[in-house]
Amino acid sequence: MEVILQLIDGNSQYFLVLMLGVFYGFFVGLIPVAGATTGLIAVYSFVSYFHDPYMLVVFTTAVVVTSSIGDTFCGVVMNVPGAGGAAATMVDGFPMSRRGEAARALSAAISTSWVNGLIWGLLVFLFLPYYTKIVLYFGTAEMFSFLIFAMTCVIFISSEYWVRGIFALVAGVVLGLVGMDPDTAAQRWITVIPNFDFDTWRVYFTDWEYIEDGIQMIPVMAGVLAFPELVTAYRMKSEKITLTKKDIRGQLWQGVKDTWKYKWDGLRGGFIGGFVGLVPGIGGNIADWFAYSQTVALSRKKSKGDEDNHNGEGYPVGQGNVQGVIGCEGANNAQKATSYVPTILFGIPGAPFEVIVMGLLMYVGLELGSPAVLADGIFFDHLLSSYLWSLIIILPISYGFIRYAVYITNIPFKFYFWPIVASLIWTTSQYTGLFDDYLMFAMCCVFGLAMKYFKFSRISFLIGFILSHRLEASWVQFNTFGYGWEDLLLDPFPATLIMLAIVAAIWGIFFNKAKIDFV
Amino acid sequence: MKIKLLTGAIAAIAITATSALSDITVVNPQKPGGGTTVWTEIIMKELEKHLGERIVIRNIPGARDIPGINKFHNDLRFDENTIVVTHGGNGVSFLQEEVDYNYAEYDSIGLMNLNIIAGKRIGDDMSAPRFPAGSGMVPEAFAMTLMLCGPDKSMDEYIACFKENVTWVKGMSGGERRLAFKRGDLNGTRENPATYQKHVESDENAELWFHHGLLDPTTGNHVDDTNYPAGYQVEDLFEAKWGVRPSGEFYDAYKLVKSFRDGLQKAIWVNKGNPELRDRLVAAMNKMANDPESMAIIEDKNGKYEWFIGERGDKMRDTLMTFITEDALRNLVKFNKEALGLNSVLKENLFP
Repeated sequence: MEVILQLIDGNSQYFLVLMLGVFYGFFVGLIPVAGATTGLIAVYSFVSYFHDPYMLVVFTTAVVVTSSIGDTFCGVVMNVPGAGGAAATMVDGFPMSRRGEAARALSAAISTSWVNGLIWGLLVFLFLPYYTKIVLYFGTAEMFSFLIFAMTCVIFISSEYWVRGIFALVAGVVLGLVGMDPDTAAQRWITVIPNFDFDTWRVYFTDWEYIEDGIQMIPVMAGVLAFPELVTAYRMKSEKITLTKKDIRGQLWQGVKDTWKYKWDGLRGGFIGGFVGLVPGIGGNIADWFAYSQTVALSRKKSKGDEDNHNGEGYPVGQGNVQGVIGCEGANNAQKATSYVPTILFGIPGAPFEVIVMGLLMYVGLELGSPAVLADGIFFDHLLSSYLWSLIIILPISYGFIRYAVYITNIPFKFYFWPIVASLIWTTSQYTGLFDDYLMFAMCCVFGLAMKYFKFSRISFLIGFILSHRLEASWVQFNTFGYGWEDLLLDPFPATLIMLAIVAAIWGIFFNKAKIDFV
Repeated sequence: MKIKLLTGAIAAIAITATSALSDITVVNPQKPGGGTTVWTEIIMKELEKHLGERIVIRNIPGARDIPGINKFHNDLRFDENTIVVTHGGNGVSFLQEEVDYNYAEYDSIGLMNLNIIAGKRIGDDMSAPRFPAGSGMVPEAFAMTLMLCGPDKSMDEYIACFKENVTWVKGMSGGERRLAFKRGDLNGTRENPATYQKHVESDENAELWFHHGLLDPTTGNHVDDTNYPAGYQVEDLFEAKWGVRPSGEFYDAYKLVKSFRDGLQKAIWVNKGNPELRDRLVAAMNKMANDPESMAIIEDKNGKYEWFIGERGDKMRDTLMTFITEDALRNLVKFNKEALGLNSVLKENLFP
């Protein structure tokens, strides 16, 4: 009731801030590869205008919720991930868009993301204190076994080229480990800049300081994943697709019906996203790929004439099937919602964007995880109300926007290829703004194109890259605390995950017929 | 035409905004959201009020927050309107890593002399600590070794004692170590006062273990931190257990590293030879320190710790430099390498 009263009481400041957050978040979500983290970093430049700390809670929550909805458009319409956590959507979303089903794909994606956001948001904010034990339960052995399970699923279940997928994963782990060695605090593999000594005619290498803190996520995501997809889309023969308003309305409704039809895929994705968000350190970017791999594994290969498809053609998951869109979008908002749990309860960020949220709120005097905030009823009222209102407000906005997004698909890709590339470069340059940012982006682009050409799974590479530090740290801690294989094989939870990983590998190699060829 | 006009207008606004925001630049060596970043934002916001000029924070992140300060040292400090913020970890890196920056070449605008507090799990056997590793935890490794192993031992004996008794858990981020401590996987941890209050003091299963005390730059000694009950400073706990005050080469190395980390916990510097900017900023810092409203905001977020402004900050830096002796540095590096497995280097150029 208090939630409703906040608006109808005429609290205009609340409503204004909420709307600003909703539109800003939605806009940020539309920028390729940017997402909530980049959008929230930019808030630092005007955070001092928030004199009421609770208004900043409203604003940041609105940004988090709506950016997750906004980034779906990038994947479906432009074939680039809106943010790290919404990359899998483009695998099926863009082919649907190319054959004139963009509105259906967007409608299915948004409704799935929205429903899971609502379910997991309510589960999180209404029962927050009860999650303490779950978060604390997840120790070293549990983390280690979960990482093995997640990586196995992504490699063996979702990729047709699993041997090359293993190589790609190893390459991702190796590149992810560039930078500081947590064991010795020494720099690792950063001596890469070639120099030529004209006196001795000898080539020697010097350190590249830029990568001392590791290779950053955004250029890898932009260069390895997004850029090759842009090039592919650029080279596709454009077909004029004319959709009437009636067609679009029909697709919107069809997308909603798809969400219901594939509800278990969406809910499973939500469960995976919810779990990943709950456990700090896993890395939210794997949630949608993990969820997607499960959808691939459980999908049936569609045959020609399958009535599931809009135009009577059969498209398996991976080539433009709405089930693939729904499977991964379920994880999107659910992960965002549950990553608030460790952040609020313990002051430990559940996802990268939560680091920024914590920093912003600390700036206005709200220290997440502190007893003062945990006992602050006004804080929780604002958090819950802004979360729910943001979800409610963004739904008609995003559905209204679909109509315009669909028209973009009528424009030949070459017209928006360069603006998207420019936005990728801009996002990449937010790290230091130095020449190195551009060089790193260029290198990642070349690497991504080569991987795509030679069919080395870029998804496996990215998963390896994202999880590399977590994997290494888990291994070091596993040994330091004196755990052994018996802890992995005899403790119920780790043992279950290890068994599932083995089953997933065997099934993925020998029995799974629904693999995708997205590389 | 409309699009061109709109683009032009946006560009004009951007250029105007950028030029208006280019009064004083402060180089912060961290990413947004980091502890020092938040500190810098809070302090600069208050300082701006008393300076009457805009301050723009430029984040230059990198490994262990070193590249940003190196860039300031090698390049940006020669810009007449650029200053830098450093933190305690930079102080430790200065002693034991090949960094470019050198505090002796800067003037202090102001620094916060902080204390670092260690907590432990209630009822755990602290003769066998399980403690998070990291180059920022070196002073705690020394402190634990002193308290566990007692007086009058050689460096090799201290190293062997540490290896035998302490489980040094590597690869943990700040968040992980806090969760691991709450879970009981770790039985000891450490935090700055603000985060100690949040993560340890609020935990019903945790209690105060030890702290390092506050450095008095006039005497060069560490005094008790009155924010905590008496008797928890490492020197006091050592005396209570072993009957003597700690001393000797191992203690000198401990004193060196803890002083550089805690004494320079948060510091603002300007290049030497820029008196005009230094005087302006020091005057603003003094006004800020005398403004109860500003200090209430700062203390609310950072704890109540003394500020050393201008010459007093220089005095603190000069006192710290006197702790650098060849033996203390050698022993610090030896312990880091052999006990903690760190890749420390002996910087002979720091010898007096």
